[in-house]
Amino acid sequence: MYASAALRNLKRKLNGWMIISVIGAFAALIPSLYILFGLFGAPNENWAHIKQYVLLDSALQSLWLVLGTGSFSVIIGVSLAWLTAAYDFPLRRFFHFVFVLPLAIPPYIAAYTYGAMLSYTGSVQAFMRNVLGVTPNQAYFDIMSMKGAIFVFTLFLFPYVYLITKTFMERQSAAFIENARLLGKGPLHVFFRIVLPISKAAIIGGVSLVAFEVLNDFGVTKHFGISSFTTAIFKTWFGMYDVDSAIRLAGLLMSFVIGLFILERLVRRRRAYHSSTSKLKPLTRRKLCGIPAWAAVAFSSIIFALSFAIPVLQLIVWATWTYRDVFNDKFAGMIGNTLLVAFVSISLLMLLAVIVANVSRASKRSIFTLALTKLISMGYSIPGAVLSIGVLAVFISIDERLGGLYERLGWGANKLLLSMSLAMLVCAYVIRFLSVGYNAVEAGFDKIGNRYSEASRMLGAGMTRTFFKVDLPMIKGAVLTGFILTFMEIVKELPLTLLLRPFNFETLATKAYQYASDEQIHQASVPALFIIAVGAVSVFFYHWLGERKST
Amino acid sequence: MTYFELSDISFRFAEGKGDVLHNFSMRLNKGEVVGVLGQSGGGKSTLLRIIAGLEVPNSGNISINGRTLVDRKQFVLPEKRGIGMIFQDYALFPHLTVAQNILFGLHRLSRKERLQRLEEMLELIQLQDFRKRFPHELSGGQQQRVAFARSLAPEPELLLMDEPFSSLDADLKHSIREELKRMLRTANMTCILVTHDKEDAAVICDRVVHIANIGHALNINPKFVSNSTR
Repeated sequence: MYASAALRNLKRKLNGWMIISVIGAFAALIPSLYILFGLFGAPNENWAHIKQYVLLDSALQSLWLVLGTGSFSVIIGVSLAWLTAAYDFPLRRFFHFVFVLPLAIPPYIAAYTYGAMLSYTGSVQAFMRNVLGVTPNQAYFDIMSMKGAIFVFTLFLFPYVYLITKTFMERQSAAFIENARLLGKGPLHVFFRIVLPISKAAIIGGVSLVAFEVLNDFGVTKHFGISSFTTAIFKTWFGMYDVDSAIRLAGLLMSFVIGLFILERLVRRRRAYHSSTSKLKPLTRRKLCGIPAWAAVAFSSIIFALSFAIPVLQLIVWATWTYRDVFNDKFAGMIGNTLLVAFVSISLLMLLAVIVANVSRASKRSIFTLALTKLISMGYSIPGAVLSIGVLAVFISIDERLGGLYERLGWGANKLLLSMSLAMLVCAYVIRFLSVGYNAVEAGFDKIGNRYSEASRMLGAGMTRTFFKVDLPMIKGAVLTGFILTFMEIVKELPLTLLLRPFNFETLATKAYQYASDEQIHQASVPALFIIAVGAVSVFFYHWLGERKST
Repeated sequence: MTYFELSDISFRFAEGKGDVLHNFSMRLNKGEVVGVLGQSGGGKSTLLRIIAGLEVPNSGNISINGRTLVDRKQFVLPEKRGIGMIFQDYALFPHLTVAQNILFGLHRLSRKERLQRLEEMLELIQLQDFRKRFPHELSGGQQQRVAFARSLAPEPELLLMDEPFSSLDADLKHSIREELKRMLRTANMTCILVTHDKEDAAVICDRVVHIANIGHALNINPKFVSNSTR
């Protein structure tokens, strides 16, 4: 291509939309780059100690958590997905919805709840002692362990695998399965030889989300006393006050996560089986009768009870004991804080998501837009601990640079203005949840296609006018979905909020965490229930939107 | 005198794949209606999209009325070209009424001129009583007429039509074809119409251009052939 033509093409694309997208994407990248560059610096004297006593052990602990949770999530998620997608049994529609509900409960809240329930004074053992007259062996109730953490993570993260796999099975697999049945293959053969292989990409997609969530977690491992990689970062940072080594650890974790991210994309790209025809027949369900039907109901009920009903009921009971102490002016202020920071972040985030989605959809084929969207979707896979160190470091260095300006304004040269403000937390939320909003908006744009905006361009409307007059009215629903999903994520988010909030700034999540770590588990139930309610309403709304679309 | 000129246009979707269009050239006089005929996959729609400014050609020049739209140094954005286009599926804005759809392209006129132009257009397509309807409340033929009025309202220098009759059934097609011919003549429109149907082209067009397949498009899988002969 000639240089003049390249210049011409650049000029054609250069407009406000493009410039904002590029600036936004690079701003979102800065904290991660800061962390990665930390790996190349010379290590300090603590590093040898950390390398010898902390690194390998915490890496192994995290690996076990990811592998254990991943395996069990696949077993539960895929079997439930297959059960609800391929068979009809009593209460199927009810279960189909409630299997998504565990997503409304953040794992750290589930960990406090199960931890307290199964303790010596908790409701389970108290019931056995006082009503049944049995004093069971304590070892059976040891949930504060690696096994317990895997149990909690699995129960509250398996819906990622379930949701993605089920959607794939319902929409994509009918023709293959029916053919296999016609060729005389039994249900087991169909499941292992047809369903599992063709669903591989969907399962990997779901399980990678589970892995990212486990690596992101701080609350569960902290409460259960597991020395995971994330807790190692925190210990180095706040226990040893060694920020350099903490950044180095974060850099290592991030390289691992990036590797996982790239691996997932590669595997998915090569294993993405899609039917070659565009006409897809949904899978027809087989009706289960007799014992299989009862077994299906029993299995579903157990999962529902463990992953939603039992912990929520327990929290409600505790809330009735403690709500009088917890409800006060401070609690109202806390809800106000949560809403404030959520709405500011979501507004910025959705604005950026919409702008980037609008830029990228016009030229799906170009390498540039591909890179832009991949950068954005990576934010979600960066663990909260890593992101928070990166954001904090970047903001402190901005404050140092601005020292001269602060001095001239009469605030003093060493003032930490930005890194003490809400701006830092908002920035971190935007980076982490941008991909959630972006995916929702992109789905909306995919649905309407490009023809309406092209028609508008042909009628003399520029990109901006086209967006407000044509695109926005048509993707309103998608923007709303993105808004709700990010709202749920931000309300339950813990590690970023805990580390980056301004002094004395409490949200529902930090308050629940604080109560729980002060051994006031019963008091924690009230903010926890608020978080779960927000999540449940969001999940319900999302489900309702999805159902409405499919009918 | 040449009014619209397109010379040596080449286009490919990605590096390494074959050209969809290879050094394609054509000329139009003012008021001429030219049909572009060719097999599906032969690059007809791509040609229209290049003229409209929705795709960037890999090489070649386009100019209209002495104004350059594309050459090696310049690229005029689609909204600045003054070219109208009727899409295959019409792409009427589903959230706007008939009147709002037609008014969409008239934002540069004063309010009075805009409303006057709307009345002219509604009269031309004989849908005065349907102005408050939404696109999904119209029949296929009515939708096609609205799409025509919407593209014509801003008085484009050139009108592009992509398979304008493909979503209509046979009966309707005959009457609409005649009507479209009348409306194009009334407006003295310069027009490029893409179709795979020789009859459509013969009825409406003054002249027909054939777009040849370049040969890369057909890629027959030998396995398939042996299967079907079994």
